Formats: sequence, C-alpha cells, structure tokens
Amino acid sequence: MTASLRAETTGPRPRAPRRAAARLWPLAALALLAGCEGRQSVLVPAGEDSRVLGDLFWVMLVGAVLLWIGMNGLFYWATRRSPAAHSQYLANWLVILGGILFPTVTLGALLVYGLSIMPDLRATGDGPVIRVTGEQWWWRVEYERADGSTVTTANEIRLPAGVRSTFLLDSKEVIHSFWVPSLGGKMDMFPGRVTEMTLGPERPGVYRGQCAEFCGESHAWMAFEAEVMEPAAFEAWLEAEAAEARPPEGALAERGRALFFAQGCGGCHAVRGTPAVGQVGPDLTHVGSRHSLAAGRLGTSVEDFAKWVANPGAWKPGAEMPAYAHLTDDQLGAIATYLEGLE
Amino acid sequence: MRQRTRTVIGTLAVLGALGALAGGATVAFGLYNVSARAGHLPPVYWALHTTFRQSVDLRADHPETPPPDLNDPALVELGARHFETACAMCHAVPGEDRSATVARMNPEPPHVEQAVGDWTPEELHWIVYEGVKMSGMPAWPSARPDDVWAVVAYLRAIQSGAVPAERQAELVARADLDGPEGAAWCAGCHASVAAHVPRLDIFEADYIEAALMAYREGRRESGIMSQAASELSPEALRELAVWFAEGGAAPERVSAADHDPELLARGEDLAKAGSDDVPACTACHGPGPRDLEGFGGEELEGHFPPLAGQDEAYLITQLRLWRDGVRGGSEAHDLMRVAAQDLTEAEIEALAAWYAGLDPATGAAARAGQANAPNPMRPAKDGGH
Repeated sequence: MTASLRAETTGPRPRAPRRAAARLWPLAALALLAGCEGRQSVLVPAGEDSRVLGDLFWVMLVGAVLLWIGMNGLFYWATRRSPAAHSQYLANWLVILGGILFPTVTLGALLVYGLSIMPDLRATGDGPVIRVTGEQWWWRVEYERADGSTVTTANEIRLPAGVRSTFLLDSKEVIHSFWVPSLGGKMDMFPGRVTEMTLGPERPGVYRGQCAEFCGESHAWMAFEAEVMEPAAFEAWLEAEAAEARPPEGALAERGRALFFAQGCGGCHAVRGTPAVGQVGPDLTHVGSRHSLAAGRLGTSVEDFAKWVANPGAWKPGAEMPAYAHLTDDQLGAIATYLEGLE
Repeated sequence: MRQRTRTVIGTLAVLGALGALAGGATVAFGLYNVSARAGHLPPVYWALHTTFRQSVDLRADHPETPPPDLNDPALVELGARHFETACAMCHAVPGEDRSATVARMNPEPPHVEQAVGDWTPEELHWIVYEGVKMSGMPAWPSARPDDVWAVVAYLRAIQSGAVPAERQAELVARADLDGPEGAAWCAGCHASVAAHVPRLDIFEADYIEAALMAYREGRRESGIMSQAASELSPEALRELAVWFAEGGAAPERVSAADHDPELLARGEDLAKAGSDDVPACTACHGPGPRDLEGFGGEELEGHFPPLAGQDEAYLITQLRLWRDGVRGGSEAHDLMRVAAQDLTEAEIEALAAWYAGLDPATGAAARAGQANAPNPMRPAKDGGH
C-alpha cells in the first residue's frame, strides 16, 4: 500500500502519464523494500538464525531466477529460433536430460542444502532461558535465573549478543506465533503445550517482534520490542529488572500511586514490592523503562499511559482491560505519572 | 367450472368484507360493552380461563434458572416480605381478605390461598415472572428470573398449609426501629431474613444510594429491589442509605456457616492473589491492600463495597450475575463485569464462603466457636476504614 501511494504522489508527469507510471514500477518495488529497513526484516539479519534464513532466501531466489531464465530461453529457442520439428534423437535427450535428470539433480541439491541448515536452527541454547506466554493480545515474559528464581516482565524481550537464548513458548487461550524476523524464524505457541526454540542474536540493537498467527481482533496490534544487548549490559538490566519497584517521586506520582491502589489496579497487575500482586495483566514493576506500552501499541510517555488507561479498547479492540472512563483527566494524569516513573 | 369458482370466491370476499365492516363498527362505535360490572358471558369466561391454564401448562416446564431449595426458611421469609409489598394488594395474605374494590376486578384476582391452587413450582415461577395478559397480573418488574424463586418458596409454603394467619404475621413482622421513613420496612429483609439478602451496615452510604438509584432506574436487575426502590423518593432513599451505612439496623443473622477449611483456603488464596484469569478480589473489596497506610486513597470510596462478613448466599448470587453479564450498578460496574467473567462455579463458592466468614471490623476470620451463635448487635464500623 505504501508503495502504490508513493508511486502516485511522486510519479505522474503531465506529458506521458501511462509511460511514466510504467517506468515507476521499479521505484515502487524499491519503496516496498524500504519497509524492510532492518528493525523487522529477514533480509537484514542481526543473528545467526536470520543469517542462515537470509542465505536460504537468497540461494532459493537466485536459483529460481536462473531456472526461470533457462525455461523461458528454451521456450524462445523452440518457438522462435528453431520452430521446425526436431529430430527424434534430440527430442529424446531433451526429455531425459531436461525433464528428468536436471530437475532431479537441482531439486536434490536444494533439498540437501535446505536440510543441512536445519541443525543450525535447532542448536541447543547456552544463554538465558526465557518463558514467553501468548495472551490476548500481549506477551507474558519470564526469565529463569540460575538460582532458580524467575524475573517476570512483559511485552519486551532483551537478549545478550553472542550466546544462544532458549525460548519456552506457551499460550493461554488461542494459538499465537512468536517471530522476530531480524533474529530468526518463527515458532507457534499452543495453549497447553510448550514449544521450544533458540535464537543466537549477534548485532546489538532494537528489533521488532510480531505475532504471526491470527489470534483475534487485535492480532495486528500484538507486537513487542526485542533488544539485543552486550552481555554485561544484559546482566545489569536483568539485575535491575529483578529488583522491586521504586517508590514514586513527587506529589503527583504519589497521588498516582494512591489512585492506582484505590482503583484496584493491583487486582490484575503486579508491582513487585507493593501489595499489587494481580496476575491477569502484564507485570508493571518496571513498565516505565520499556520501549513500548500495550505490546508495541503505544510509546511510554505520560500521555501514552493516560490515554491507554482511559480507554484500552480504543487502542486495542477487544482488549480485556476495562476502560477507566470514570476517572478525571487529573486522576488519569496522576496514575500515568506514577506508571511512567516505574523504571 | 371456471364460472363456479369465480362465484365462490366472490361470495367469500363479500362475506369477509361484511365481517370486517361489522368488526370495525363494533370497535369504532363502542358497541362492545367493556363494563367490568357486566362481566363476560360464561362461555367466554371458560374460554379465557382454559386458554390461560393451557398456555401456562405448555410453557412452564423449563424455567431459565433451576429452583434453589424451596424449603429454605430464609427464602420463604424473603418471598413473604416481597409478596406483602408487591402482591398482597390484589391477592391479600393468609388470614386477611381482599379489599372490596379488588374483589370487583374482572377477572377477579383470587385470594392467595386459592391462587396457589395445585400449580407446580415451575408453573408458579412462570406465572409470577411472565404475568398474565389481559388479567391485570403484571410481569415481574425485572429481567432477572432467579429472584422469583423466593416468591415461589412462599407460595409453596402456603400450598402445603404451612402459613396460617399467625405464621404469616411472624413472617412479615417488623422491628420497632427509630429510623427514617421506611427503615423498619427495609430492615425487615436486610436485618431479619437470615440469608440471601445483603447486610447493609458494612457498606458506605454512597454505595447503598447508588445501588438503590440503579434499581430504581432499571440499571440493576432485581424484581424485589426495583419494587422496593420505586416505593420511596430519591431523598428518602438517600436518608435510608445514610442510616443503614451508620449501622442503624445491624443484622440479626447468624454468623457464617461452618465450611471445609480447604474450601476456605482456596477462597482466601484466590481472593488475595487472584489467578491469571481472576483479579485479586482484595485489591478492591478488602480486607487488606486498599487500606494500607500510604497505598490507599479516599478517591473512590463508595464505588467498591467491602465484602468481609457479607451474606454468603447473596455473594454467590451476585457473583453469578456478574459472571453472566446480568449485573449492572454504578458507573464503574464494567470493571467488575470483566473481573468476574471467567469465574467458575467452584471459585464462586470458595470466594463467597471465605468472605462470609470474615469479621467485617477486623477482616480476620471469625473464630471457630462463633459459628451458629447469634451475631451480637455490632456497633457501627468501629475498626473499619
């Protein structure tokens, strides 16, 4: 859609509109590719797995293009260059070589190549173990630490570069699919059955993940940020993430906290270190330090928090969180300030 | 052949037109006598009454809600008290006569002792809930069929001969209370009936008032309470809300029933910690977090009722209504609809049992020895909030 829009806005010249439009097709295709600028693209790999998958894509693409050219060359030769009937001898060998031997060898080679990369994608992890549960429509994320404890967060994955992290994927109600295109392939998440995958990210940066299996009304809004960090920075982050929430700073944030509890937010959300222990919605202990709110739907500014709390369904149709439309802007601002400060 | 068909059709058409004309004239010129004094001709009366009986018989077999224990004395008393408010004006009560005016209604409403007849509970439920067209018998004033069963329990008691005049007087007796208009009448159910009815002394006045207005304006369903709330002015309701919230009529009910400790533990666990489907109840309804120093706020008092010590049967009914999306209430009621939508029947029972067993003042579990002992008159909200 962006491609066609762009073609329309940059394209038509008054003299020969038809031809100009035709000449713009390659440009339009480029504009489409620009969508793959790297935050969410298999073609700009940031990890071992996506590199392997990217190579697979290119090998298949080049092979397919060569075959396409070869086939069309044959058609051209048979219909234009040498349209007369061929000798029986030539026809027989054309069938044996071109119809049997060539496809067998080519497809066989591609199959061997394809199978040979599978073990790379199924290598066992040597990094952190992360349990991700698909909810409607967000991600529950739990890091399993060496001492047996877990660190709960949501809607964001952070990974150390240079090691393979293990994902234990599960789902609560319906099937979702976990996919960070820049880091690797996707894996379905089934209710009541844990699937396992590993990812070996290499290049630090912030990438985008997206649910890749239609899961209901707000499937398209079910995304997350995946940040690949230097190992030391990752350890420091996990340590901070494991800590309890910090107390509010300033009168407005304090009023926000009072409202947060008076409104019963703690019934559904946990803020570790406070009496809020709810498990229905995302853990909010450090929600202010995340890259996004509501699984990639909004940013994390005070305004974003306020407009989300006032009416989640407006941003995410079907979201289970009820609207807090009965709160005044003042009250919403105070709650938002408290949440934004939970870093 | 063709000619004959045409004659038949033509004759029928003319007869039909004449019939329509006669009917139209009867309506337009007021030829039919609607006098209740004149009444129906016996065959008309027979046809109407038979139609009524057969219609009930055809439809009453499958009530929308299954009957509870109809021998429950609290349910019988609740039904008797509602009957006195909403039904006795036409059907009278055992030991009393209908008024002379009511006796001249046509059809004449039968005295309750005849009205109960030999109807089955399902049939009684159908008649009370649906009402009877063109007879003066109104439909239940709420879209909630379950609270009709209280009236059915009372009618069953009359059917079985268990409600002579003296028993009737006991069932609807009122305490001598020093409260605003209607206080003794409200307390008749809210302080005397031993189950199914919420105790009001643990609520905030704003909450009670909001609930009464919701009943009055049809935003909350209950045939019993919408009748009660429509009998008084909003100002009178506000006065009553304040009086009851201040502990004007502490319930005479017995304290919580004995329960399997395991059930109570499950209730406590779910109420305090929630699950991944169910929010932690205590976050809004106490006891606990909401009242903690530095965490609580005054800003929403009145919206979320405290539940410690509330009546168990009432809690079960209300949680089911929330879960089924029937329950309305104040402007924040959508919060609770979402919170309760995934509750299972077992969870509802555990939560109600746990909450009912708490002491409203301290939030602690009532002592074991206290079960079945009458609750002493409790001074209003001494340690709460």
